[in-house]
Amino acid sequence: MHHEFKYDGEKYEITIAKDGQTWLLGDYTAILCDDNRIIVTGPEGVSKFAHSAKVRDMWWIHYDGHIFCLEKTEPGSQDNDAEQGMTAPMPGKILEVKVKTGQTVDAGELLMVMEAMKMEHRIVAPKTGTISRVGFSVGDQVQQGDTLVEMAD
Amino acid sequence: MLTGKPDYGGQMINTVLVANRGEIACRILRACTEAGLRSVAVYANNDAGSMFTELASKAVPLIGETIAETYLNQEQILQIAAAHDVDAIHPGFGFLSERADFAQAVIDAGINWIGPSPRAIEKMGDKMTARLTMKAAGVPVIPGQEIASEDEETMISEIVEASQRVGYPLLLKASSGGGGKGMRKVEDPAELTDAIKGARREAITAFGDGRVYVERLLTGSKHVEIQVLADKHGRTIHLGERECSVQRRHQKVFEESPCPVMTDGLRSRMGEAAVMAAQAVDYVGAGTVEFLLASNGEFFFLEMNTRIQVEHPVTEMVTGVDLVREQLRIAAGEPMSCGELMIRGHSIEVRLYAEDASNNFLPAIGPLAVFRPPSGPGIRLDTGVREGDMVTPDYDPMLAKLIVWAPSRNEALQRMRRALDEFVVLGTITNIRFLRELCDQREVVSGRTDTMLIERVWPDGWQPDYSDSTFDAALIVAAVSESAGLNKSRLMTTESTNDLISPFQTLSRRYP
Repeated sequence: MHHEFKYDGEKYEITIAKDGQTWLLGDYTAILCDDNRIIVTGPEGVSKFAHSAKVRDMWWIHYDGHIFCLEKTEPGSQDNDAEQGMTAPMPGKILEVKVKTGQTVDAGELLMVMEAMKMEHRIVAPKTGTISRVGFSVGDQVQQGDTLVEMAD
Repeated sequence: MLTGKPDYGGQMINTVLVANRGEIACRILRACTEAGLRSVAVYANNDAGSMFTELASKAVPLIGETIAETYLNQEQILQIAAAHDVDAIHPGFGFLSERADFAQAVIDAGINWIGPSPRAIEKMGDKMTARLTMKAAGVPVIPGQEIASEDEETMISEIVEASQRVGYPLLLKASSGGGGKGMRKVEDPAELTDAIKGARREAITAFGDGRVYVERLLTGSKHVEIQVLADKHGRTIHLGERECSVQRRHQKVFEESPCPVMTDGLRSRMGEAAVMAAQAVDYVGAGTVEFLLASNGEFFFLEMNTRIQVEHPVTEMVTGVDLVREQLRIAAGEPMSCGELMIRGHSIEVRLYAEDASNNFLPAIGPLAVFRPPSGPGIRLDTGVREGDMVTPDYDPMLAKLIVWAPSRNEALQRMRRALDEFVVLGTITNIRFLRELCDQREVVSGRTDTMLIERVWPDGWQPDYSDSTFDAALIVAAVSESAGLNKSRLMTTESTNDLISPFQTLSRRYP
């Protein structure tokens, strides 16, 4: 079966085959257990148990003490990472707004200060550019994922 | 006295109300069950169905939406106490635990307060007053300056003036502070004014008190604290130390007992200072005196926490004393049950937070789609969550405390690595991998930890370290999971095995 995943901005396309109860890919084999754990045997012949869980489009994988979040994407879908909005990392309140629309900022410059879980969080510019929109004012409540500031190159 | 039994001011305890939630509420409620006491849990609407509500003899809902209307609502909690024949209140940590006015209100209501007197809480709770009290008792304090003004302008000018005597780098601290809130490190005099404003603002939001004072930042020092216990029969003892130097954002993440550089002589000197601090405020119950330990063996009073602490389990593991059980015993007027201090083996605790260690330790939320703690010899898990629960932004992001015990420090560290590798949490970002890599850090391995360790080892932030083959294996697991339709089967089991709202259906957010 063919699948496409996205991790850390990179796309990974993989095709796995099934032989009886065993899944095959390159030097790896995998067997699904009754309790939904997956036994992975690597090129070195070492077998380890892996756990997985899907939350919306994201596969959470635990393997050998490591956790990976792999987003399941549809083959051929468009990337929408081009949007350069700075989003609220969690629900909270805006304490300070340091920039105005049209202002040019340097990468790393402080744009906003928000408060969440009684701690202050600094929202900084991810790149050098011009502020094209400021979404909130001081005192506004924001939800996780809200676009706080938008930038153009 | 004719009865032959002196009155120590204690009262028989039958029913304990736990004015807290989550992990520490579970810890206390279990201790109550073990002591044969009835227990009452109080919970806010968004905690309905939480693990701690199931561990109490009775769980009573708190009316209201905000923390102020629920867990901080003294009047409502006292009403519930009166309605359910409660004769003792345990405040846990955080929330109302260090509120002298609440302790007083509890006592005035004729209910046993499981903690020190309101006066002791007051004297130690205000950090500036505590500094002055300790100075007077002959306990060494960090070079610094108390600042009396509350007005922003005057405060700034007084701190700027004091900063010339105190020297840089310095630390601004909220007098009502705790948990790193209202605290700012300042290295450059040019940043001082902004830092004062920020600390003051954070302090006002978090504590409703904007008073801030200044202390020298002692770099390269260890955070070492002494557990004390005092009963109503005039006995005050210490139970050795905990080292909690490894911190991020001034919050502890890795705690151990004993401290790797401790000597018998230093332990008795610090222990004596801690007992002196406790006696200076006629302390009763369990408390912790925190010190900074400089590399030359000099130590300075930091603060006293007048409550049970998050990291109390490591002391329990090496001393064999059940601190919460002792709290219950002491409150009931009985003498504490511990004998001579005996420290056996080594214990380490790590705090499992729902947070993104690779993104400035930002708190994370989400479902605990999989939550499988490690088990085996020498492992203890103190938690208030279980698989299927939601991690929300409503409360502190600490999910669990993983505690190990082993005969030696090296073995304890090996056990912690094994336990962290076994710990599976999926659906919410946690710091498990960060903690696991922390266990391999040279300074952690050697025990030469200090309070700046995390910033020094990861100045540009932490990123997980994994091999290509590990990632390849994860990709295959994802592909097999998707091909085998695991998402569908898991959804079905989640729906049928319990009546929790399925996180998979209600979430409208993207993770991570």
